[in-house]
Amino acid sequence: MAAEEAGSHGAGGMPDPIHQFEIHRWFPLDLFGYDATFTNSSAYMLAAVALIIGFLTVATSGRALVPGRLQSIAEQLYEFIANMVRESMGEQGMKFFPLVFTLFSFILALNMLGMIPGAFTVTSHLAVTAALAGLVFLTVLVVGFAKNGLHFLKLFVPSGVPIYVLPLVTMIEIISFFSRPLSHSVRLFANMLAGHITLKVFGGFVIMLLGAAGALKAMAPLPLLMATALTALEFLVAFLQAYVFTMLTCMYLNDALHPGH
Amino acid sequence: MPETPKGSTPPSGELSPEDVAVFERRLSDLGSKIDGAQAEKAAEITAQEDKAMRARGMAYGLRMSSEFVAAIIVGGLIGFLLDKAFGTVPWLFLLFFVLGLAAGVMNVTRAFQRLQEDIARQTGGNIGKDLPDGDDD
Repeated sequence: MAAEEAGSHGAGGMPDPIHQFEIHRWFPLDLFGYDATFTNSSAYMLAAVALIIGFLTVATSGRALVPGRLQSIAEQLYEFIANMVRESMGEQGMKFFPLVFTLFSFILALNMLGMIPGAFTVTSHLAVTAALAGLVFLTVLVVGFAKNGLHFLKLFVPSGVPIYVLPLVTMIEIISFFSRPLSHSVRLFANMLAGHITLKVFGGFVIMLLGAAGALKAMAPLPLLMATALTALEFLVAFLQAYVFTMLTCMYLNDALHPGH
Repeated sequence: MPETPKGSTPPSGELSPEDVAVFERRLSDLGSKIDGAQAEKAAEITAQEDKAMRARGMAYGLRMSSEFVAAIIVGGLIGFLLDKAFGTVPWLFLLFFVLGLAAGVMNVTRAFQRLQEDIARQTGGNIGKDLPDGDDD
């Protein structure tokens, strides 16, 4: 195995845990001077979109009064997001339902596709998560100013604060506001990256121990057990991170609709 | 005349003392079995609820740590850029670093408030489990 995939293995037979995150340029493409090469990342994004659209189309094609299995999954997905949106933004927040639903299903599909052995995890790249977080951040700014005008700036001026600490508190609020896109994007990216590296490292331990002599060989099942447990944890994290990203999106959008705390 | 064999029902229809003892033992056996099954079921439900709550808690925990760090980084970055613009190295950096720290703490306390509201909404105001009411045994 080491021979056929020489590039993916570092020294000592240990598989390179970073190799899985490499971007491969499949079809070079130059759009108006921008590098829009079709990469494996683009392919997985397309696959995720196709998966979501395909699943929802098939699931809702019957439109039965008593839903079947697929339809009830689709309905639960809808209810899950709709409840989240209503809980955090109220009924008028349903305007943002398409955005929130798209973000959730896109991230969830990407995370879950990444759990397939050998697959590429798109959300383990900061560029992707930062673009998604930036989209949310800009939406909050645009909607906030469009709906509330300068009242949107009230977000930075909490009520009931004595005048002599107000400048300080306003500064803190502004820093807190601008820290949002950073934590929003880094959280998803870091969790996916770290999880997949951990999985790969423990998988690499199995191979290293199998390659070792004598008693060490007998210890090979131990990291395998660990990798199995971590896989289960990763599935939880894959869902949880999609959920957290969406929940925070709702929270931030709520600030755009109702700026005063 | 041979005696009636042990354990057989006397002709009058009454149970012999041995039979009563056997029945009572079976009854208590069954009772403890049912109790065991019920406790197992209750434990399973509790475990499932715990799992859901733990997943939620984990989501909040992951959020809080990253929000705390992000605020400090953004604060430091703003200070650093202002320092470069005004040539006041390192004073604005230090000031905004501390402000970032305050913003991080504020982020965490806000997230925690929200978590508490969330839990209160889910459990109807009483955090934790009710004590079992022991009136029927």
